[in-house]
Amino acid sequence: MRKVAIVAGGEAKAGKRAASWRDLVQEAGKAMFEDADNMSPKDVDSIFVGAAQPERFAFLSYVAALVAEHIGVIPRKVLARTELACVSGQAAVRYAWNCVATGMSDIAVAIGVEKMYPPDMAEAQTSMACVLDREWDGINAFSAPPFFAVTAQRHMYEFGTTEEQMALVSVKNHHYSSMNPIAHLRKEVTVEAVLRSPVVAPPLNLFDCCPMTDGSAGVILVPAEDAKKYTDTPMYPIGSGQCAIGNVINNLASLTEWVPLKLAAKEAWRTAKITEDDVEIAEVHDCFTISEIMEYEGLGFCETGKGGKFIEDGEPYIGGKVAVNPSGGIMGCGHPLGATSIYHTIEILKQFRGDVDDGRYVKDANIGIQHSLSGAANQHSIIVYSREPR
Amino acid sequence: MNSTKFEKIKRPQKIALPFMLDFYPLQDEKNTRISQFFKNLKEGRLTTTKCKKCGKLLWPPRIICSECLSEDLEWTDLGVEGELYAFTEVKLGAPLGFAEDAPFCIGLVKTGGLLISARIDNAKYEDLKIGDKVKLKIVELEDERVFYRFFKDKEK
Repeated sequence: MRKVAIVAGGEAKAGKRAASWRDLVQEAGKAMFEDADNMSPKDVDSIFVGAAQPERFAFLSYVAALVAEHIGVIPRKVLARTELACVSGQAAVRYAWNCVATGMSDIAVAIGVEKMYPPDMAEAQTSMACVLDREWDGINAFSAPPFFAVTAQRHMYEFGTTEEQMALVSVKNHHYSSMNPIAHLRKEVTVEAVLRSPVVAPPLNLFDCCPMTDGSAGVILVPAEDAKKYTDTPMYPIGSGQCAIGNVINNLASLTEWVPLKLAAKEAWRTAKITEDDVEIAEVHDCFTISEIMEYEGLGFCETGKGGKFIEDGEPYIGGKVAVNPSGGIMGCGHPLGATSIYHTIEILKQFRGDVDDGRYVKDANIGIQHSLSGAANQHSIIVYSREPR
Repeated sequence: MNSTKFEKIKRPQKIALPFMLDFYPLQDEKNTRISQFFKNLKEGRLTTTKCKKCGKLLWPPRIICSECLSEDLEWTDLGVEGELYAFTEVKLGAPLGFAEDAPFCIGLVKTGGLLISARIDNAKYEDLKIGDKVKLKIVELEDERVFYRFFKDKEK
């Protein structure tokens, strides 16, 4: 297996955009190619397109060739769309990495896109409600907000986590997103503002939830030995883990302890030859404030049930135990499903390069991780990156 | 104005709820091999499949046991009462077909050895607490399809 490098990344501004699905992917594609030296779209031999629901949000299926066409790529080795709900983008990165590592591809693109603002928001919510098992959970109106609401309720009931502690996650992430020019939401919030924001599904309020967002982001992967042809500052995927247990709510391992996350993390640390203490930047899936609290626990940054105290103590801020979501997270940057995890990838690349605002810069970091979950938090994916080749 | 021709065209202003946007599945034996689940619901019984070979209780109902691949399954009753494990109230963001009902309560109910999601009728969020007893009810759609819910019995 070859070692692999990510040499370039480009993204569309995330937000409620006056742009179509295919406009967004063109913006990201151009930015991505312009980020690489000595690279043209025709050099790319493989492409993976992360797209969760183009059939619903854009009434398009079979989108891999459409995206290749729009960004000028003629795939001659491997071409596929990856769908894994909120992890569709990270799935694209994982497949591109695997193809370059095995030699099936010499230059691969992983690009994600989602257009989530149709004219009718109830229709968008209908699409979101078929991510959980539509016939047995979606049918009971269990889409993401109610599912994470009952998760939060049980976490509060079992561990004493408070709404104030959850609000602190929103405060931190909006603080960092206020300094991130590509972020969807760029205003700071206070604990009081989170607690007073409209109730979506108790105990979750509007500012406990990530927004619906239009966006697209892409990265280019090449063999590590070729990396310096395309950039002075590549980064290297060095380990990964992924695990799914069950799908319908009855078959989850637990509501309040994310067992598949713990297993994915164990595998990621093992393959990267690190421990959780080595992680300096963690871009994690804060779709809801409770999610990030449970990710502190699942990733091993603190004990199970102590995630609320972890944020209360300031540990996930830059300068604390580990910088969690210095991008502003999904909470601040937005969550364009198929693109979300690739914004994470690019954030770590920018951090390693020092190409971010001082107020959210994790100086001299060498190890960063990206984490995403999907569905009823039954599936978790992690990739570990190093600034130096290992 | 140039000589280009313009013409207004008409499209239907309303369409019936399409099957592919309907949360309720087709339930008869022509469309599913678990039609017995829905027949049982029509008799007031919430059931699921249990593997006769390995004993695994399967949810949702299956035609093949996912543990041992046996096709020798039997229908077993989950009971008509449950215990509320967790709940919330859908206030914002309900999907098409449910938005008119909002706000409404939904929850996870422990019943018959399972933890299943359901609508929780006859209660506001403030009326409920973890551990509450809830009772089974069956809702009937206008086209004879059915589904299960639970409700809070306020008599007790």
